[in-house]
Amino acid sequence: MIPSDHFTRFYNEVFKFLESQGEDQLQAYFLAISKNQEKHILELIETKGLEGMEEYWTHIKIEENCDMDIDRNEDRLELRMNVCPSLSKVMDNDAEPMGRYCDHCAGWIGPIFDKTGYHLVYDVIDRKKPQCVMRVFKDAAKAKEAEKDVKLLMGWPGHKV
Amino acid sequence: MSEHLRYAEGGEVHLDFHGATNTTIDFIISRYGVEAMDAIFRRVGKDVYRSIHDDLVAGDTGQLVRHWRHFFTRENCDYDIDVGADEIVLTVRHCTAWHHVAKLVGTPSPHFCDQTSRTNEALAEGSPYAIDTEITGPGSCRQVIRRRA
Repeated sequence: MIPSDHFTRFYNEVFKFLESQGEDQLQAYFLAISKNQEKHILELIETKGLEGMEEYWTHIKIEENCDMDIDRNEDRLELRMNVCPSLSKVMDNDAEPMGRYCDHCAGWIGPIFDKTGYHLVYDVIDRKKPQCVMRVFKDAAKAKEAEKDVKLLMGWPGHKV
Repeated sequence: MSEHLRYAEGGEVHLDFHGATNTTIDFIISRYGVEAMDAIFRRVGKDVYRSIHDDLVAGDTGQLVRHWRHFFTRENCDYDIDVGADEIVLTVRHCTAWHHVAKLVGTPSPHFCDQTSRTNEALAEGSPYAIDTEITGPGSCRQVIRRRA
């Protein structure tokens, strides 16, 4: 058994392999993971919207031991990851980190927001630092406006930046 | 024998990651074949768990046994470890990972337990030991460390 604690380091090895096979393969994998994740979050978003997202990430914050602030208002949800446990483990690793490890996060959640009519603005800030800011808007124009303030904007399958 | 445990973790556990592992195994094997998946597990055994691999190569099984105890306890598995003179046997009666995936998707990938078998083989590669994994039933197995003949 690869412990659930070490999934991220296994994930890192999978990313390195897929990157060597081509960008389209990595994108296809993000979509496969996105589909897998639908069972955990899709219904929450479809039935409760931003509140459902907050419920999901409040659960994740606990189970994945995240140092993260969650803020919701009627227009948007903001996740401010102060210390990301996922990238932290990949960096504290006897194997080499994949340089674009952070891309997977927008890679799986972006397609779910596309499917549910929300607008994601994902600021990775710096791929070598375990921190990021994710904002999800109801309104496309507000999301577009928010993109002006990001340091490193992430895309996802079907949404290049 | 060292008391080192390089990969210890604390806090909560997020068992849904096992579901993502199952999805990953199916994805890689469907596109690239089982050999590609095995090669990734080999890197997990030799590179990700380099400290345990290096200890085994140096003839020290201690860290692997502590690693097993640490994580099988963290994941609330039903298991025991028998450290004998000739072999060390980990008996897993209820693997939390396998049963969690079964709960999520019905039937785990037929290759789900390869993560254990192949990673164990890679951990022991080049060492005086072999680690054999016998799947004894759905979500149960026996893992044996013994000196190579």
